[in-house]
Amino acid sequence: MKLRTLGSVLALGVGLIAGTAMAEYPERPINMIIPYGAGGATDISARTIAEPLGTAVGQALVMANVTGAGGATGSVAVQNANPDGYTMLFARVGSHSVNPAMKATLPYTLDDFRFVTVYEINPVACAVRPDSGIDSMEDLVAKVAEGGVSYSSSGVGSLLHLAGAMVLSEFGVEDPLTQATHIPQQGGGAAATAVLNGTATFICTNSSALASFVANGQLKPLMVTTAEPVVGFDAPTANDLGKPALNKLVGWTGIAGPDGLPDDVAAKWGEWMAAATQDETFRTTMEARGSVIELMDPETANAFILEQYNTFKALVDQLGMRIEG
Amino acid sequence: MSLMDSLAAGLSLVGNVEAFFMLFCGLVIGVIGGAIPGLSATMAVALTLPFTFSMAPINGILLLLGVYKGGIFGGSIPAILIKTPGTPASSATILDGHPMAERGEAGRALGMALYASCTADAVSNLALILFAGWLASFALNFGPPEFFALILFSLTIIAGVSGESLLRGALSALAGLLLATVGLDLVYGTNRFTFGDPNMMGGLNFIAVLIGLFAIPEIIAMAWNPVAHLGRARALGKTRCTLADYLGSFKSIIRGSMIGVFLGSIPGIGAAPSAFLSYSEARRTSKNKANFGKGEIEGVAASEAGNNGVAGATLIPLLALGVPGDVITAIIIGAFMVHGLQPGPMMFILNVDIIYGLFIGLIVSSVFLLIVGSVAIRGFRFVADVPKRILMPAVLILCIYGVFAVNNNIFDVGVMFVMGWLGYIMMRNRIPAAPFLIAFILGPLLEDNFRQSMLMSGSDPLILFRGPITWFFWLLTGVTVLAITRSTLRKRVPLS
Repeated sequence: MKLRTLGSVLALGVGLIAGTAMAEYPERPINMIIPYGAGGATDISARTIAEPLGTAVGQALVMANVTGAGGATGSVAVQNANPDGYTMLFARVGSHSVNPAMKATLPYTLDDFRFVTVYEINPVACAVRPDSGIDSMEDLVAKVAEGGVSYSSSGVGSLLHLAGAMVLSEFGVEDPLTQATHIPQQGGGAAATAVLNGTATFICTNSSALASFVANGQLKPLMVTTAEPVVGFDAPTANDLGKPALNKLVGWTGIAGPDGLPDDVAAKWGEWMAAATQDETFRTTMEARGSVIELMDPETANAFILEQYNTFKALVDQLGMRIEG
Repeated sequence: MSLMDSLAAGLSLVGNVEAFFMLFCGLVIGVIGGAIPGLSATMAVALTLPFTFSMAPINGILLLLGVYKGGIFGGSIPAILIKTPGTPASSATILDGHPMAERGEAGRALGMALYASCTADAVSNLALILFAGWLASFALNFGPPEFFALILFSLTIIAGVSGESLLRGALSALAGLLLATVGLDLVYGTNRFTFGDPNMMGGLNFIAVLIGLFAIPEIIAMAWNPVAHLGRARALGKTRCTLADYLGSFKSIIRGSMIGVFLGSIPGIGAAPSAFLSYSEARRTSKNKANFGKGEIEGVAASEAGNNGVAGATLIPLLALGVPGDVITAIIIGAFMVHGLQPGPMMFILNVDIIYGLFIGLIVSSVFLLIVGSVAIRGFRFVADVPKRILMPAVLILCIYGVFAVNNNIFDVGVMFVMGWLGYIMMRNRIPAAPFLIAFILGPLLEDNFRQSMLMSGSDPLILFRGPITWFFWLLTGVTVLAITRSTLRKRVPLS
């Protein structure tokens, strides 16, 4: 009874608001949904861009974390929202390319969203414990052949899950799913801890998540997936090792609206992001965390994400990693 | 650098009004945030984080630590006054704190919560300063098999909070274990009991379950029979916690602080299990065993010492290893990184001034907490004097607002009401809610660590006995189960 009353009041409110949406966009605050928890990589990235972005937009941005199920809960909230540009999503590599590629029963697909930008790229690095006796990717592959190698991730359907399998597969391990064991953990911090305490042999994740462990000599980097070396990581790039295909394996953060977002709204976001990413504080804060600021306009962003999704999906099908349940 | 130089460097960092002012502000924000049901210490820290980006590193970090410590204490205020834990960590405080408030001893319970919190906080900070390196390397020995054995032992707490009937407690715990399985399967990533609803994929929201189970049944009972409480003495929130109270519970406070330090230094457990473990240990060894759960002040002391003991200790893995100890320190680590600081062993060499600055700030924080807490209690304890018919509707609104704010999701509010009715039915049938909650917290940890162990060993169960730590907890579990069985048999009362 109480719920229903509350629901109808909310519905009435939404209806009133929708009626006035015809005027010049944006004429009222925009809801920005962060599908991951407070303090995580996506959250910090979102809240850092929110400041210069709010200035560019000229309206308040209402930031809300809607978390759960690897970003799915928040993504669904935006998928079902009115495509009027007043509900937008901070999309992330996990929720919008790895998970859709892996999980068959996900309640959304990439077609349900229209991306207006990708503004941040995170290189991926693979690392082991320094006392593991593994000094290079060659050593790691040799060790996999012996058996008993495992890798940790922040959960099934995360970038880390796919990255471990993709890197091994790229380095010639024929069936990485059976030859190496995937040990999922709850969250990225726990995944790194699992390698530190010997639960897992290696981890492949965003370089920013590993930077402090590498700087402290607790973990040893084996490679980075970008074409350019990553500052602080004394390890060869994927291109040095002759595996440029791994360049696709990077993290990113972007902004998306529901499918059906009008062209002029998308174009406006393109302009706002161009202005916001020029902000000096934003750049230094993000770069201190190991991110590469790379602004994509709406078209480039859609193409970039689709291409990464297709690469991941092909790999998932090839290795039989699809989650059907 | 010698110790004196390091101390001097640290002092020069924090030796300004601004640093202490930030710490103080943090504690005030934390106590208020923690006292609002549903806002929780985690959220208070997360909301404060963006403001620290533009501050000097030490000021920003002290602000966040203040919010954290204040929040963990603040959560006990509504737990005692309105049976609604402000943060999950203070759910154990309800067990004895709320009966005390019902009896008209709200002021005494709040006072004890504050003194126990401050004492545990000081012990925890000292442990961080003196034994950080040692405790951190010990914590690294905790892999999934060790966790499994520890959690299995912790499940024996259920016997301690079951009250009069072990069977009803076990029933409650089973229901909690069952509901905790909703969500995504950890290893296969498949949907479990989600019934095709995306809202269920993330599992049932913990705070919604917590508030639904404890606060809503009271409100339903009140709505059912609005005049039942009239004529019973409540009010009189003016009673105070005396020195004799404090000394009488001192042993439990210290034991609770130790448990907090130990569990806090192991990444991934958090403050709520620590509070429950401390509570059940206090009950097991207390002379007033029978009075636990009915308003025993030692129970309040033990729970609050258990959860605040964690607050300093979670910084041990953070500073010594660079690994966040719980959800809140995972947020705080963001503040370090934004300032280009990389927590870990090298920080003790590269940024020793900041480390010592933090230590000095932490020691001061226990004293500040005492001051801020005393003022807060003075303000809040008169909530106990508000007539119930006015208080309860206000609590209901707070609960709805708080649960919605956790995740901005109306579905969670629905979960809260469903759990509220379940809690009401349980209350009417004298089934205790605490075992449900413990099982709901520990169940997923138990399952995840068991399955991770099996993945590590290729399904060889012997890995669960792989070292001295596992043997120790298996032994403890065995002894405890034996003791529970014996005391249950000796009572010669029917199980139900």
